[in-house]
Amino acid sequence: MIYALLILPALVLIFIVFGFPIIRYFWLSIHASSVLTGLTATPNYGANWIRLLNDDRFWLDTIQTIRFTMCSVLIEIVLAIVFALILNQNFRGRGLVRSLSILPWALPTTIMALGWRWIFNTPYGPIERIVSIFSTNSINILSNPNIAWIATVFADIWKTTPFITLIILAGLQTIPTDLYEAFKLESGDKLKSFFNITLPLLQPYLIISIIFRLAQAFGVFDLIQVLTLGGPAGSTESIGLYAYLNAMRFLDFGYSATIIFFSFILLSLFCILAWLLINKIRDKYQRNML
Amino acid sequence: MKKNYLLITALLMWSLAPFLWQVYTSFSTPEALINPLLKVGNRWTLENYIQVINSEPPFWRYLINSTIVGINATLITLILAIPSAYAINKVKNKIAQSLKVLLLLASLFPYVLLFLSLLEIARKFNLGNSLITLSIPYAALSLPLAILLLSSAFKDLPKDLEEAAIIEGIGMFQRIRWILIPLIAPATASTGIIVFLFTWNEYPIALTWISNIDLITLPVAIARIAGSSVYSIPYGAFAAATVLGAIPLMLIVLLFQKQIISGLTQGAIKG
Repeated sequence: MIYALLILPALVLIFIVFGFPIIRYFWLSIHASSVLTGLTATPNYGANWIRLLNDDRFWLDTIQTIRFTMCSVLIEIVLAIVFALILNQNFRGRGLVRSLSILPWALPTTIMALGWRWIFNTPYGPIERIVSIFSTNSINILSNPNIAWIATVFADIWKTTPFITLIILAGLQTIPTDLYEAFKLESGDKLKSFFNITLPLLQPYLIISIIFRLAQAFGVFDLIQVLTLGGPAGSTESIGLYAYLNAMRFLDFGYSATIIFFSFILLSLFCILAWLLINKIRDKYQRNML
Repeated sequence: MKKNYLLITALLMWSLAPFLWQVYTSFSTPEALINPLLKVGNRWTLENYIQVINSEPPFWRYLINSTIVGINATLITLILAIPSAYAINKVKNKIAQSLKVLLLLASLFPYVLLFLSLLEIARKFNLGNSLITLSIPYAALSLPLAILLLSSAFKDLPKDLEEAAIIEGIGMFQRIRWILIPLIAPATASTGIIVFLFTWNEYPIALTWISNIDLITLPVAIARIAGSSVYSIPYGAFAAATVLGAIPLMLIVLLFQKQIISGLTQGAIKG
């Protein structure tokens, strides 16, 4: 009984922040609550949902958000494995290198997003300057709809790779070294030992990183708002930013809640799908091993 | 061995180059930024820093605001999380397991999507524009991970320790306060630092809760600076602001490297 009392305050607060909004969003999504109604909710019988289904901007943002998420997570997982393998070796100054390598993760997103805006600047940023040595055409990184989104993915990878690196590094440290030695005696192939020992044993760490990063990247907001403001021509706008604009700029809470509730469903499906896919790959992989 | 150092250098370059570019920019005159091969006297300047420090409200105000919210939120989180983390190991296993799964799901959730509901709560109860009330949603958002981290620390303590104290007739609160809390101090420290870093960096909620320019936190201030001058872009001053804003965090990372790493990795392993 006393234990329940100790947990209760925290649980209540967690429910207000995590549980209640989901119910509230669903409720708001079937109501009109905008400047027109003075932000008081009045039932509008699914009008928000019909609007959502016909909202091309929303669907474009959904596709863009999925594109951003897939590219960012896939690349950073691979990169993080490489970084973790480097950092797992013995070398002098390893502690310092490790703490310097987590700096990108520790800095506020808005700070570095502003920094990236200068790096991607045309014509004075370093990337444009390097390009201008080889070609007379400028690539206009942040004003070209085909390139700007790659810049956002790049900045996101830079920022979040250290986090996954640390998790994978922790995983690497749980693998006993004699496993590698035994394997060396049998075949001696380094690459093979990576696929036969390292990767299978890292699996739980990879799964948790992938699920966590999928969810976080799907909600991308700060980075885009500061780096591109969703532009050029809406080509980098994410669902999170669109929901924010609907609430704060167009003052339409009902529609914003509809967007958020829908993306919540989408995200859950996405994570379940990723989970199933990972399990399937694992089964196949293990059968091949035997 | 040589190849190894090459890889390490590459990794460091990747992590630090964007930041070093900001440092370089922050000390450059506008002329030097446009023409980097400039060799004359006005190559370097402190003007950018002077401009940022003398802005209104002064830049250090944002640092102080962020620190106030960060410390508050960390304290509230720990005060609520420590008893819960202790208790979660004492309740029936089935309940504890399902609670832990829920906490894990909550800590994976992209909290950005919660901003609208939190904004409504702030409007309804008039909680906006205060650094103290802003700490409450921050603490709430940090609680799931904090409870998970601390409960695994409590779980790792030897059982007979508490049993001996029970035999001695020491009450539960005394046991927690004088025996268990000192023992989980390392885990508490890493949890606290991770929560502090999260609140220091948080943006969407600070953006929607605080409109008074004297109370905005550092990330919001930076975004505001970025948005304020879309047409004339004083990148030297921007860079000075990003460098000044990054220094406190660099110090935290260098000082508390061990705690941060153990906190992050514990979260992944035990979660």
